[in-house]
Amino acid sequence: MRERLEDALKYGKADYVEVRLEELEATTVAFKGKEIDTLSASKAKGGIARAMVRGGWGMAVFNDLKELSDAVRRACELAGLVGSEEASLAEVEPVQEVTRAELRGRDFRGVPLDEKVRTAKEYNDIMLGHHPKIETTETRYWDSFRRVWYINSEGTYIEDERPDISIYMTAIAREGDKVQKVTERAISHGGFETVEGLQERAERAARRSVELLSAPPVRGGVYTVVLDPRLAGVFAHEAFGHLSEADFVYENPRLKELLVLGRRFGVEEVSIVDDGTIPGLYGTIKYDDEGVPARKTYLLREGVLVGRLHNRETSAKMGEPLTGNARAQGYSSEPIVRMTNTYIEPGEVRFEDMLSGIKLGVYAIDMVGGQTMMEMFTFSAGWGYMIRDGRIEELVRDVVLTGNLFETLKNVEAVGDDLRWDHGHCGKGGQTAPVSTGSPHIRIRNVVVGGRR
Amino acid sequence: MKLRDIAHMVLEKVSSKVQSAQVVASWEESTPVSFEADKLKAIKTSRTVSIGLKVIVEGRLGESHVTDPEDVDALVEKALEATKFGREVNYTFPKEEPPDVKLYDGAVVEVPTERLVESCREMLELVKDYNPDITVYAYASKGVGESHVANTSGLDFGDEGTGYYLGVHGELVREGDILMAGYGRGWRRAEIDPSEVAGRAIEKFRMAERVVEVRSGRMPVLFTPEGLEVLLLSLKLGLNGKNVLLGSSPLSGKLGERIADPRFSLTDSGVEDYRPSSGHYDADGVPKGRTVLVEEGVLRNFLYDLDTATKAGRRPTGNTACSPNNWLISAGNTPNDEILRDLREGVVVYDVLGLGQGNPISGEFSVNLALGYKVEDGEVVGRVKNTMLAGNVYEALMRISAVGSSPEWTTGSLCAPPVLVDGLYVVSKEGT
Repeated sequence: MRERLEDALKYGKADYVEVRLEELEATTVAFKGKEIDTLSASKAKGGIARAMVRGGWGMAVFNDLKELSDAVRRACELAGLVGSEEASLAEVEPVQEVTRAELRGRDFRGVPLDEKVRTAKEYNDIMLGHHPKIETTETRYWDSFRRVWYINSEGTYIEDERPDISIYMTAIAREGDKVQKVTERAISHGGFETVEGLQERAERAARRSVELLSAPPVRGGVYTVVLDPRLAGVFAHEAFGHLSEADFVYENPRLKELLVLGRRFGVEEVSIVDDGTIPGLYGTIKYDDEGVPARKTYLLREGVLVGRLHNRETSAKMGEPLTGNARAQGYSSEPIVRMTNTYIEPGEVRFEDMLSGIKLGVYAIDMVGGQTMMEMFTFSAGWGYMIRDGRIEELVRDVVLTGNLFETLKNVEAVGDDLRWDHGHCGKGGQTAPVSTGSPHIRIRNVVVGGRR
Repeated sequence: MKLRDIAHMVLEKVSSKVQSAQVVASWEESTPVSFEADKLKAIKTSRTVSIGLKVIVEGRLGESHVTDPEDVDALVEKALEATKFGREVNYTFPKEEPPDVKLYDGAVVEVPTERLVESCREMLELVKDYNPDITVYAYASKGVGESHVANTSGLDFGDEGTGYYLGVHGELVREGDILMAGYGRGWRRAEIDPSEVAGRAIEKFRMAERVVEVRSGRMPVLFTPEGLEVLLLSLKLGLNGKNVLLGSSPLSGKLGERIADPRFSLTDSGVEDYRPSSGHYDADGVPKGRTVLVEEGVLRNFLYDLDTATKAGRRPTGNTACSPNNWLISAGNTPNDEILRDLREGVVVYDVLGLGQGNPISGEFSVNLALGYKVEDGEVVGRVKNTMLAGNVYEALMRISAVGSSPEWTTGSLCAPPVLVDGLYVVSKEGT
């Protein structure tokens, strides 16, 4: 493959050319209710050639590997139509590296299909059998194994293998018109052991969905909120991580002013880090999809903006260090600036102490999603409890929090000592990327909680 | 190799081993052009191939996909293996005549890449003329594709389609305030007027020149066609025949009952000429058509794919995975601008954050107004920020108090007029 790629590069006339090829095999096993809903297998190969001419990009995506050289040529031609300024890409040391996936556990490619089906079915049955109010379930097992070949015109050549395995277990409880849905999941770049031994988690999803049926929706208003580590990690990712992605900023002079390094965004207790090098996490990579090594980057240090996530272009244009955050979903996508493992550094406050002094607040737990639009962000807890006079009281549902970048981090009142990680997928620009988020418990005042009064 | 030949080759390999089988071979070519931060940034071409196979053996379904015609043996083998554990089904892939619907516009294929670039530039300049401080992003894309579906019942149908899209959005940054707004249009014909797309985007910026506060409380909310997604997301899940069969839809068992104000009627259609979600067949080879879902507030039908329809004892509606094709909300009897004019105090919704994060199937929603405006005495007075909108879709549908008389197509697969809902909950930080 290497020779073919090196040969194809010769067809490129541009300031910079790269090619990424992939082979992928994937299996999906999905249950809906009692029955299996989807059982499918897929196999794909394809690639993308990307070229830069005078600062403009041309790209060509293909499935048929016979089109490889032609794709390089087309990408260069298109780039020629676009470019109008000087090329600028941050310098990076060329690397030559061939890595193989090290699956310490069981390689899921060797697990027979019936075992994958049985595993998913067991959890699905646990949820279905938990309570008569469990109306239905969705259990989705998915694995994929990708081989990736990357080459660029500066002498970098990387071969990589990327295993991915996950299971999502969703219990849906119903009582009359009320429907509640709770999902538990396990997800990693590891082997089949990731999805084994999750019986208790399945039980928990079912139990929680039934409990939520009798929980009232939270009353909308402005509260002091304690976020559990899972939700707080999403908060860091949504509220701050996305604004730290330099592709938002690098060609927008006003945003650059607004997000200038050195500006204070939060209280001193808050430091937020992106680190693609932590072993075993879901956002961990050795190199990004431009061949740049991953590293640890402080975004917010003691409340002050000190760093940003970059690809080679944004790094050069902003004159800031490379961070190794250019990531692509797959062969049909170009790399864009993405987070890896993003977390709030733990502080010193114990959880018990965090609750004290809250007259009326919300303890928001777990997360079902989050979204950012520039300064505004919204994130949804799986459920919550009301806090009254420092004590955790009744269960509430539909806890959706919204905030503003310029205010919320300044309203953080306490950062806990109990860092915990969580793993998932982040969507941006039509692509998803595996990421981890981490945080201790945190307490924030003046948070708008949506809901009905 | 021609798609038809690939499809036939696959069928030949499996037909003796299965009760029923269907193969779809397709290719697609697209050319997206993007302007970022006021300048041309990238042009991409993409040529992708897909071959999908569904087989039924001993009443069980297996599926597989590959991208390389040379992998058809793996395609067949994996699909057959999957049938050992696959979903139990009780149908064979059908052979029915295709409906009459236009999907292909030769003019799209003729559009040179330069015209895509020019259209972007035109939109960009119009937005800049309105306000040079807005940082502009513009997109244009054209696409063409062919597919061939063949099954063991004798369906043997080649199809071709095109797609065309223009969109523009801008960012306006002021101290402590970032506004993002835009507009896009997409369908299967090459005719989209860049100045109209830009005009729509500019209108949103114009209305947002002032940021105003809104009080917390219950008030009427006007959903623009774009903003209607807030209500339609839950309905998509609720009208999904599979969710109905499994009992997870709150609409289960409510056929013939009133679920909305009589002013509200909703139809699913896969046969609107040149619309994105139109087609001749769904993924199981069932012809697409029109299905009345809600008629003058009364629930009339759900969306069914072949398998779910068989199990529910209903007719399949040509909806892959029981998901919508295009949705049409019928015109009401209030002129669009009159709805706004008669509003003493309320909120207009264009775009929200956080939709679908909570528990959308229940109908509960609680979303952040990404782009919304306050109305006072019949006029938009400015943009509202840091404001949440909450309620239940099924209650909201009953409280519809006006439906506009002029529906229009949004960016994607919805044709709708503006819809006014009384008494939704608005929660704002400033206004408590």
